[in-house]
Amino acid sequence: MKRRGFLKLLLALFGSTSLVSFAYPLLRFFAPPGEKAKAKQISLKKAEISSGEAKDIVFNNMPVIIINRPDKGFVALSRVCTHLGCLVAYDKTKKRLLCPCHAGTFDLEGKVISGPPPRPLPKVPLRVEGESIIIG
Amino acid sequence: MWNRIKNWIEIRIGLDDLVRTQLKEYSVPRNINIFYTLGVVALAAYIIQAVTGFFLLVYYIPHPDHAFRSVQGIMTVVPYGWLFRMVHIVGSNLMVAVVFLHLFSVFFMGSYKKPREMTWVAGGLMLLAVLTFCLSGYLLPWSQLSYWATTIVTSMPTAFPYVGDFASNVLRGGEHVSGITLNRFFALHVALLPPIFVLIIGFHIFLVRRIGISSPPFGVSGEAKRPWTEYRHESHPDGYPFYPDFVLKEMFMVMVYLAVMFLIIAFMPTLFLPQDANTPADPFRTPAHIKPEWYFLAPYQMLKFIPSKFLGVSMQLILIVIFLLWPFFDTKEEKNILKRPLLLGVFFLSLGLWIILTIWGEYS
Amino acid sequence: MRYINTKISRFFSASIFLLFAIFICSSETVAGYREVSEKEFLTAPWAGEQIEASACIECHTSDIMKPEFKNIPQEWKTSWHYENRVSCHDCHGGDTKDAAMSMSPQRGFVGSPKYSDVPEFCGKCHVGILKNYIESGHGKALKPTGRGPNCVTCHGSHNIQKANMDIINEGLCSRCHSYERAKIMKQALFLTEKRIRDIEKDIKRLKTDGVFTEEEEKDLFSTHAEFRTLFHTVDVSLIKERTDVFTKKLNLLENKIQNTFNELGFRKNFSAFLMLIFIGMGVGIFLLSKTYKS
Repeated sequence: MKRRGFLKLLLALFGSTSLVSFAYPLLRFFAPPGEKAKAKQISLKKAEISSGEAKDIVFNNMPVIIINRPDKGFVALSRVCTHLGCLVAYDKTKKRLLCPCHAGTFDLEGKVISGPPPRPLPKVPLRVEGESIIIG
Repeated sequence: MWNRIKNWIEIRIGLDDLVRTQLKEYSVPRNINIFYTLGVVALAAYIIQAVTGFFLLVYYIPHPDHAFRSVQGIMTVVPYGWLFRMVHIVGSNLMVAVVFLHLFSVFFMGSYKKPREMTWVAGGLMLLAVLTFCLSGYLLPWSQLSYWATTIVTSMPTAFPYVGDFASNVLRGGEHVSGITLNRFFALHVALLPPIFVLIIGFHIFLVRRIGISSPPFGVSGEAKRPWTEYRHESHPDGYPFYPDFVLKEMFMVMVYLAVMFLIIAFMPTLFLPQDANTPADPFRTPAHIKPEWYFLAPYQMLKFIPSKFLGVSMQLILIVIFLLWPFFDTKEEKNILKRPLLLGVFFLSLGLWIILTIWGEYS
Repeated sequence: MRYINTKISRFFSASIFLLFAIFICSSETVAGYREVSEKEFLTAPWAGEQIEASACIECHTSDIMKPEFKNIPQEWKTSWHYENRVSCHDCHGGDTKDAAMSMSPQRGFVGSPKYSDVPEFCGKCHVGILKNYIESGHGKALKPTGRGPNCVTCHGSHNIQKANMDIINEGLCSRCHSYERAKIMKQALFLTEKRIRDIEKDIKRLKTDGVFTEEEEKDLFSTHAEFRTLFHTVDVSLIKERTDVFTKKLNLLENKIQNTFNELGFRKNFSAFLMLIFIGMGVGIFLLSKTYKS
């Protein structure tokens, strides 16, 4: 019977270890995303970007372009082309974004006009507060 | 402390009596073997699938634009998301293997015979439900593999004239696999199949307990050949107590199942995840060597070499019907398969053919 | 009782045979449909290779074509363009579905470009490279004199392969000037190119380990493309200047990849630990069951 008792104890030990090995991941799994997920917001002055102009910034390790569209106001788009990842450039005269690698073109909403890109450019949340623009 | 809790429950439902009659005095046949534990292992496997499935449900997004990314998010962003996803994937394949083994051993030991025909039919329906689970779940990650394997399978009904196209369109929600298909399969996988499956499990286990465990026909047999004209519970007064003897056997096999699962997760994590499973679905590009998961390889291979598509699909349907209603085809009372060389031959022939077709399907 | 059992069994076997017969008979009556669906089944994508239908290819591989034109589709099939589904009309224009309009200017057909027009021809897509080339020594030589290297000189026309460092070699570059300049250029590129190749290998390893590497691949491609585009300025000092920037980017990428490898290692250890726990429990239960042997 001593052996039985010892074995039961051993099993209880193993069992609780395995339970904890699942309980801890479960806790982390269901915990709400931490502060890291809410990235630092970037703010700029409206005056920094005149109408028709654009500015390149880096937000959350991602290159982003902020365009001051004469008709529709400010917009922030990711500069990473959805084809193979090259960074798109702003063409002020033609009012579009052009990727230098394979000539993928996007309009100022991020939609694909022509070329190989399969998806539109993702938008980055942007809001205007008074004299500043807040990205993120 | 523990005794006080037990007493509280005892005076309300008579717990002691329940434990005594249902667990301790409930006996299993003396010559029971390890294969009898496979049913419980399959049940444990299902519970693991349901639980991990729920966890995945918390982060998965069932829309073609987001499905693949949400799964990648589970694998890389959500803490320990990889753990639950891997358990779900490896578990689904292992569960099918366990269910097949359970099926083979029940067949081999003749446990489907009178009075246990309903148990077999319920089990057969559960196998079909498990395969439907696998089929519908396979589409959800929306990878190249998911998309194209589903395209093939949902085109199979087109073999039938007149109703075939309609049936395929209902399955797919249209002419091609699309977001509509994803939503249908998602609803099927998450909301329709689980309660149906649980009901059948309940029925199946009820039948096993009510009728009594069938004795293995080999070695010491406590069963005499008696004509069956009225209900009689089959007990095993000279057998082992279910608790703790057989329960320990069952626990042991569940541990083996879990050990194998984590062996695969630790050392062969890409066993069920080929490259195509990690590429987002592209409706315009078919991968070079698309083929279904291993448990569908045999029927797929059979379809490929039977020249008429219609005949191929019909034969499969007929085989499924024969399988489901097998106790009504084989009504001989002799349970010992070793005394029935013809049936033994049929068993090994079918098993052999299935294995050959699977291997052929893998390498063709 | 046995009689009843046999009767049930016979009933089922008979009904199955009947069903079978019905299926066979009805399959004869729908024979025409069967032929159509069989053909579909065998030519459906998973049943074999997809056959590309293109008016351009059809004529250019036929026997009436001149030998120098007849080889072109074959050359193209071995190219990197082919791998990325870039075909005839993407560069030359024209209509691939309609043979009559396949070489019509109305459908954008431009034919083969003149020697000095080649940069703009390729630059329709390779915009960034065109810009750097035009401003480079090579580009500045081509326009006024009509002599000098254009895209085809180094990359070929239809059998275009993935660009690599060995395109810069003595045979090619010493046609117009001494190889010295090209050698210095190659050295300037060398380390960064090697780094990029190593990262490419690492990404491949990650892929075989089951990781989805789209972000890393895009990052690497963008850096690599920018670097290669810069080469077309054939300005060694510019390249040396910008090498630092590229090295920093590549460092970040390599860090990310290293982190992923570490994460994979952790997962393996964690799962192996759990496996050992379950094996331990299995052994314990087995031993425990032995103490109950009744």
